[in-house]
Amino acid sequence: MTRNVALPRPVAGALLALLLSACNSAPQRSAVCTPPSGTNLHQAIAQARADLSAGCGHRFDAYWTALLEIGAGDPRPENRRDFSAFLEWSVDQGLLSRRQARERYNRYFGVKYVSLLSDYSVCSRTCPNRSQVLTEMQAERADKELGLLKIADDANAYRRADRLYNEMSLVLEATCAACDASTQ
Amino acid sequence: MRPARPLVGLALGGALVLIAPTATRAETAPTIRLFPTTVVEEIKHTGSVAREMESGLQPIIRRLDEQQKLYQESKCDGAASDPGCEQLARQLGETYLEMLQVMSDRLPDMERAVNTTRKALRTRLKRELGQRRTSWEVQEWLVGRDTRTASTTRSLARGRSGMRLSDRFRQYYRLVARPGASADSSLAVIAADIYLDLEETAVLIARTREEINRATLMEELHQSFGAITPEMLAVVDGVKAILFGEETTAAPADAAPVQATEQTYTSPLEM
Repeated sequence: MTRNVALPRPVAGALLALLLSACNSAPQRSAVCTPPSGTNLHQAIAQARADLSAGCGHRFDAYWTALLEIGAGDPRPENRRDFSAFLEWSVDQGLLSRRQARERYNRYFGVKYVSLLSDYSVCSRTCPNRSQVLTEMQAERADKELGLLKIADDANAYRRADRLYNEMSLVLEATCAACDASTQ
Repeated sequence: MRPARPLVGLALGGALVLIAPTATRAETAPTIRLFPTTVVEEIKHTGSVAREMESGLQPIIRRLDEQQKLYQESKCDGAASDPGCEQLARQLGETYLEMLQVMSDRLPDMERAVNTTRKALRTRLKRELGQRRTSWEVQEWLVGRDTRTASTTRSLARGRSGMRLSDRFRQYYRLVARPGASADSSLAVIAADIYLDLEETAVLIARTREEINRATLMEELHQSFGAITPEMLAVVDGVKAILFGEETTAAPADAAPVQATEQTYTSPLEM
């Protein structure tokens, strides 16, 4: 035996609204877009992907920082591959441009300094801003220490990056002195 | 009628212009020429001039040291009125003037050699690294295209203190004139180091020349009183530091090169 239960009108209206919102095809945001924590990088990347593809793209930087911290807790050479794959996925998702992904990857896991990217000659562009360029390189060296040394466990690559910083500082000092001297 | 030969020559020349760069590019990557033969020879010459100056000064400075030691051992400080001390002070002053004279004679040659090398290197640095390349390209050259082999021959010339001036230039010459050096990306570091070193040396030489003029005048005045001044001692110490350095410091150029990393993973995002 079945009984027909008549719902009060306000309750029925609320239920209908709830059903309609469930049918909405727009991506849902996860509750609060909280970046992952813990110690397992694979799980953290999986969570980050899920959240970022569910509408948390505006917090990409926070997720990236969280992943770096988790990676530093478990240094392994393979981490490099995981971070690269994550960035490529981010490009596919439209969260980053390919150029942004390349710069971000190389800032942390490359030996060369993306702070030195320039389309103009050393004399015309780098020398007038030499102290700023060196400050940016110093900051990037700290990021490489995190990426290469603490996350990818690649001390040799970090040593090369560190040495490259010293060499570039010296070469820029001399080259800029040469550029300046001839304009005096 | 105009001879046809220039036209043929022109045509051949044009053909060569079209062909030659392609062939060259195919064989070798563009190189950065920081040390043409002229610059290498200038460095060698500067080393020789420095050596001549050192050998001229060495016996005089040795004599100065001995006289100064004798002066101190004879407890002449504060006893200038003693006839023996007065004589020692006078001898010291004469030797000091002799040192200044030798320096005054040799410094112009040294200054010329340093300035010629400095200007030649400045032109190369400006043209090859400053104007023709971006900072990224310079960096790429330093790293080397092939990260597995590029850094194996790398050595730094850094460490200008603690060496005789002539030894420094001999070391520079050895670094830039060794076989295969022209293709070595570490030459940018060496060129930078030499150039900055020459800049410092040029300033020191100019300062020393001024100091010699001042000190000569002062000492000529002091000769009549037979006093040893702190300025005299400071000038001698300065000359010793510039020309002879400290003997104990090892040259960083002998440091072991850093080996390239054996990379197991190369990201498609790698730049």
